[in-house]
Amino acid sequence: MLTRIAGGRILDPAQSRDEVGDLWLQGDRVIAAPDHGRADETFDAGGCVVMAGAIDIHSHIAGANVNTARLLLPQQHRAHASRPAATPLANAGWSTFETGRLYAQMGFTTVVEPAISPHHALHAHLELADTPVIDKAILAILGNDDFGLGLMRDGAGPDAIRDHVAWTLQSSKALGLKVINAGGVAAFKDNVRSFGFDDVVPRYGVSSRQIVKTLQRAVHDLGVPHPLHVHCNNLGLPGNFQTALDTIAAAEGLPLHLAHLQFYGYGAEGKLGFSSAAPKLAEAVNAAKSVTIDVGQAMFGQTVTISSDVLRQFSARAQARPSKYVIIDGDANGGGVMPYNYRDGSFANAVQFVVGLELFLLIDDPYRVYFTTDHPNGAPFTAYPDLFALLMSRDVRAQWLSRLPAEALAVTTLASLTREYSWGEIATMTRAAPARLLGLKDRGHLGPGARADVAIYRPGADLAQTFRAAVRVWKDGECVVRDGALTHYRFGRALRVSPQPDAAMTRRVAEYYDARYGLDAELLSVPEAALPREPFETVACPR
Amino acid sequence: MPVGSEASAWIAGAPAPFDAAVAEAARLLGLSAAPVFAHLGADVAGLREAVLLAEQVGGVLDHADSPGLLTNLDSVRESGAMLTTPLEAARADLVLLIGDGVFDAWPDLTPRLIDRLADGARVVWLTGSAGGRFESIAIGTGVARLAALGRLRAEAKLRPLASTPPALRSLAQSLRAAKFGVAVWSGADLEPLAVEAIHGLVRDLNETTRFSTLPLASPDACAAETVCGWMTGFPPRTGFARGRPEHDPWRYDSRRMIAAGEADCVVRVDAFASDAHIAIGLGEAPANVRFEVGRPGVDHDAIFYDARVGTFVARPAASPAGRSVAQTLAAIRARLGGPPC
Ligand SMILES: [Zn+2]
Repeated sequence: MLTRIAGGRILDPAQSRDEVGDLWLQGDRVIAAPDHGRADETFDAGGCVVMAGAIDIHSHIAGANVNTARLLLPQQHRAHASRPAATPLANAGWSTFETGRLYAQMGFTTVVEPAISPHHALHAHLELADTPVIDKAILAILGNDDFGLGLMRDGAGPDAIRDHVAWTLQSSKALGLKVINAGGVAAFKDNVRSFGFDDVVPRYGVSSRQIVKTLQRAVHDLGVPHPLHVHCNNLGLPGNFQTALDTIAAAEGLPLHLAHLQFYGYGAEGKLGFSSAAPKLAEAVNAAKSVTIDVGQAMFGQTVTISSDVLRQFSARAQARPSKYVIIDGDANGGGVMPYNYRDGSFANAVQFVVGLELFLLIDDPYRVYFTTDHPNGAPFTAYPDLFALLMSRDVRAQWLSRLPAEALAVTTLASLTREYSWGEIATMTRAAPARLLGLKDRGHLGPGARADVAIYRPGADLAQTFRAAVRVWKDGECVVRDGALTHYRFGRALRVSPQPDAAMTRRVAEYYDARYGLDAELLSVPEAALPREPFETVACPR
Repeated sequence: MPVGSEASAWIAGAPAPFDAAVAEAARLLGLSAAPVFAHLGADVAGLREAVLLAEQVGGVLDHADSPGLLTNLDSVRESGAMLTTPLEAARADLVLLIGDGVFDAWPDLTPRLIDRLADGARVVWLTGSAGGRFESIAIGTGVARLAALGRLRAEAKLRPLASTPPALRSLAQSLRAAKFGVAVWSGADLEPLAVEAIHGLVRDLNETTRFSTLPLASPDACAAETVCGWMTGFPPRTGFARGRPEHDPWRYDSRRMIAAGEADCVVRVDAFASDAHIAIGLGEAPANVRFEVGRPGVDHDAIFYDARVGTFVARPAASPAGRSVAQTLAAIRARLGGPPC
């Protein structure tokens, strides 16, 4: 099958290409224009923008905590009235099927679920296997687990930590490693109620800083393309920008990714003791070239926060709207699920909204700032189109700002920022940059050999509508979206790294599981054969 | 279970080729105005196909053990909860067992939890009437139990009531003094208000210390809850009568629907029974159509919910044989023109 996408504006920052021309697909790949050859199918992309499929590096779409949220909030996901033919369950509100459909319709073809406890990895992969169209991946969580903290306490050394990280990634079939409030969740088990970067975990005698540095080094030494993905301490608290600054400084030239930086962009200025510290954070990120961040933009409306930062979720429990929460003391990180309503009339919520936009607009390099709402924590991923419009248009921003409390604008600089993201910068931030960050060589670009994941948009006056409904989307060379509607299912794969497990560490872990739990450690690992279809694709670790 | 000469499918009690039985099952479901998928005893793949088939025919999904499951879930949906896992619960320095049914709900409770507690950890059992195996306090059931839990909560909040029995007052002090306490009960055993009272008590205790809960329900029902959750957004007692999934614990109670004559075709999936099977029809026996199916994790590879860990685990089959629930239900759905999924 030879497909020609004719006469569109081909926007491919990874290949420095921005020109009107043709794009050719054969099978599941992009190919160079053939010398002679007739397309089996031609799509006239005149007036459209042609990009690689978008990649979301941080979106909580699957797993035990997400499913707890579904079950906790039946009223939050009304099913759709119409029944789409040929796509089972796509009308089920907040099902995995709906997740795949809505992402595909926006032109997203790869999504990373960033917070899976290793013991729940099989559950997460089962949900991801039922998420149609898109490719996906999980990040496995360490940094609050008894075995790993025990290694650090006992001075096991970098080789042992590296081997344990490798074992975990292999066992849970993950693409990378995440640490969430390093040590803070373990400390909460001992009833510690606040925990900073240099606080020490009871029983283990290691600080959050040591945990982050140790895991950062292990991920780097293993050659895992995606750097350690850090959810810092003190999320959401006034004055917490200092925690983020300390964590950025601790990167010390090695790659480090900070998740949803918006939630750490808070000063304690102003008469309400809450202000934007985004300019300080942006300055630090601009200077620290080995650091990448995603924003975790907050948007207004009802949502639910889902986090493995159990300490933070517990501390914020009084803010639940409606007023109920689930806190799970897990085998390591566990989770907290709490409904929340961001209101544009609220001073604090308005500051949060503004801090996110300031980070987007003040961080210079679109290769180091990633587009997320920390779905669904800042907003559901369905808010992305509005957010694209906010970044690309000063006028759209001015309209939104006019609805916000004046006191909130007084403690931020947003009104003075004139930057507008170009289409090219959007393509970089959502395509080229995430592919590079995750080590996905055949995604995020449209060069010959790239996976034929392609999204086409027709720019219109309403930018949000432009991004909400892609004109066409191809996944692996198969056209799956027409005029903003999914036509049928196909199922993608989960991307994973596959570091060589160390025999001695495998034995050591087995002994630990036997002694602590009376179980075979293999019981809690993800067996490839157990999952349907072709479940995984291995991403190379260059080292 | 060999497939071939020996029958693995029956129509109206008579052996039939598999394809003919599939066709008859599809015909019955196609004619049905209100098909009900009851029992739902299946591995993850089987549950998945049951959900897809239910959507295809506009049917209702319920599980045999929904009552206990929904008793636990309802209070979580109402007011939230502090929860923990079976592995983490073994870290407790105080385990509070509530109700006589805890050991029925989790037969391995002693080896998997009690025996794994650290030395010095305390186990207290709030029983119905009899003295239990552990340090126990008989608090009755029903209204008496509710009153006792209310007292316990008040005492733990340091709001003493004059008539509180000394044993409960002393227990309340112990709960406050615990470093990590875990309350354990079975949803099949307790009244919904009792479950809510426990969650309230635990919420209060967390103002000063750490305490959590381990509500027990049948593992197969937990599997159905989870799979239905990610596929439809809702737990069992979800129906597709109007195309889209709708959850209604009363309306979609399969026992009620059958008793009231609302169900005109019942699909009973019982893969964990000793004679693993699917029966389709109106009455219990003989079914209009019956399929013998493989036992999950014995006759075919399977993923199911493991009470020891509180999540899914995989179990490969030693010697694969027979058709699975998933294969059988998928064949019926395909016969009805359901798109691949
Ligand atoms: Zn997140």
